[in-house]
Amino acid sequence: MKYWIAVYRVNLRVAWAMMMQYRFAILIWAVWGFVGPLVSLAVWSAAAHSRGSDVVGASQSFSRGDFAAYFLVYMIFGHITMSWDAFEFAYRVRTGSLSPQLLRPLHPIHADASYNIGFKVITSIIVAPAWVALFVLLKPAIPDSPVGLLMSLPALALAAVTRYVWQYALAAIAFWTTRVDAINQFYFVLDAFLAGRIAPIALMPAWIAAVSRVTPFWYMGAFPVELALGRVPLQSALTGMALQVVWLLIGIAVFRAVWAAGIKQYSAVGA
Amino acid sequence: MSEDQASNSRLGSPQEEADVPAVTGNCSPPTHAAETRPARCAHKGVGSTLFFHLRMLGVFYRTSIQADMEYRVDFFARVVASLLGLLTTVGSLSIAYAYTDNLRGWTFAQAMVLLAVYYLMDGLIEMFIGPNMRQISSQVREGTLDFVLLKPVSSQFMASFRMLNIWRAANALVGVGLSVYTISRLSISMGLPQAAMFSLTILVGMAVVYSFWLVLVTLTFWFVRVDNIEQIVWQAFETARYPIEIYPSWLRGVLTYLVPVVFIVTVPASALVGRLSPAMLTAAVAVGLVLVAAASAFWRLGLRSYTGASA
Repeated sequence: MKYWIAVYRVNLRVAWAMMMQYRFAILIWAVWGFVGPLVSLAVWSAAAHSRGSDVVGASQSFSRGDFAAYFLVYMIFGHITMSWDAFEFAYRVRTGSLSPQLLRPLHPIHADASYNIGFKVITSIIVAPAWVALFVLLKPAIPDSPVGLLMSLPALALAAVTRYVWQYALAAIAFWTTRVDAINQFYFVLDAFLAGRIAPIALMPAWIAAVSRVTPFWYMGAFPVELALGRVPLQSALTGMALQVVWLLIGIAVFRAVWAAGIKQYSAVGA
Repeated sequence: MSEDQASNSRLGSPQEEADVPAVTGNCSPPTHAAETRPARCAHKGVGSTLFFHLRMLGVFYRTSIQADMEYRVDFFARVVASLLGLLTTVGSLSIAYAYTDNLRGWTFAQAMVLLAVYYLMDGLIEMFIGPNMRQISSQVREGTLDFVLLKPVSSQFMASFRMLNIWRAANALVGVGLSVYTISRLSISMGLPQAAMFSLTILVGMAVVYSFWLVLVTLTFWFVRVDNIEQIVWQAFETARYPIEIYPSWLRGVLTYLVPVVFIVTVPASALVGRLSPAMLTAAVAVGLVLVAAASAFWRLGLRSYTGASA
């Protein structure tokens, strides 16, 4: 344990130094995260406006303020759980720059994970004022009790780790084909619907909602958000977190299997 | 990051730097490059100048397409990416329209026309404008713009129209397909005047994007790195997938005046559904012409600050 803390600390410091060099570019990438949720919010605000009443789905209803709360929390949680390794990894395989990483006595996933954490710490600090400004501007509906918000924090951490592991498993497909763009695009489409990124799951067609619950997408996307907004009853919250752990363990197993098979496949440029 | 952009799909495929074959003919440029550059054939009249530039364009595009032929698989990847992006937008719109028959006055069918125009414009921009503008930035940074400046043609012409990325037609094709489908659904009769108006607004939209991007790229002469600003512009362009009326008024202002998304998507879409007033059309054409003139002037100003590779 002490070993791992030391490893992550050193890697974090390296990541921090690297990112300070590219402050502006990194800020731009962080701002990307604003566009999606705000556009979705605009669509649903317009829907609520044109209806002249709350949008009532199968199990939940949303007022304009509820939509603002949903997409703002989604924006922040999405930032904390996001991972871009699938794109990065294919590039490394293609150029062969993965090779020196494989020679280190540390699995590349740990170097990348600490870099990912470093990125999120820095960008969160930079972007935080904008988040606060958006909360003031968009007047979201604040939930009555803070219990949901407190419970959502461990769920958020689990969601971040789970997404990271699954995305890394997806990234490892690059061992077989470096043309992973279409695969990643497909993943993003699934994520948009099944993780509730473009609309609350409760407002989606019943079949999408049903599919969402039996995939990891719900647990790494909408679940912590709905939990924070007090939309998940206590009993389901606990089962939800238990299932997050299950999906994390499945993710680790899948990742290990894919990696072990893929690494045999890997032949760097010039080999 | 947004779903479609996330795969940094804006990065073009690598292109061989093929040298421009000499254009021969009765209006061939003299070999002495140090002479005054612009309007080489001006003394032979506007007609032959136009002819000369059109022939150059033919050569530029032919060599670009030849180079692109090496990356054929790219096309299918683009079509898949394009269709998946479309699926996300259409899906999210149809989920919202399940709860209302209009979004701020836009019906679902009208929103689809808008989306079709968005894809068409995105495809055209990435085909004709994007590859060249990205090339200019890197040429200024690396000093290889020298080779453009040495050619005996207008540097702006050469830098702006040198390349064509044929595989980016994927988005345009998806846009055309969606337009045809939605127009037949809306039972709009496309007369010749309407088709002409639509084509004109597409041209204006391209001119606006071109000028805007050229100004951004010209900033490279002073600031060296502007590709980050380009990213911001594309983020703004993403919002044009949806009717501009759904956004708060300050954002509508930004999208009209700062990043003129209105002229790129909203105006052509209005022309397509026959809702564009003659006054608006005139205004759009005027904006297009003014912007192109302004951007060209700015380019010439920027060139003065260009120091070359070894200077």
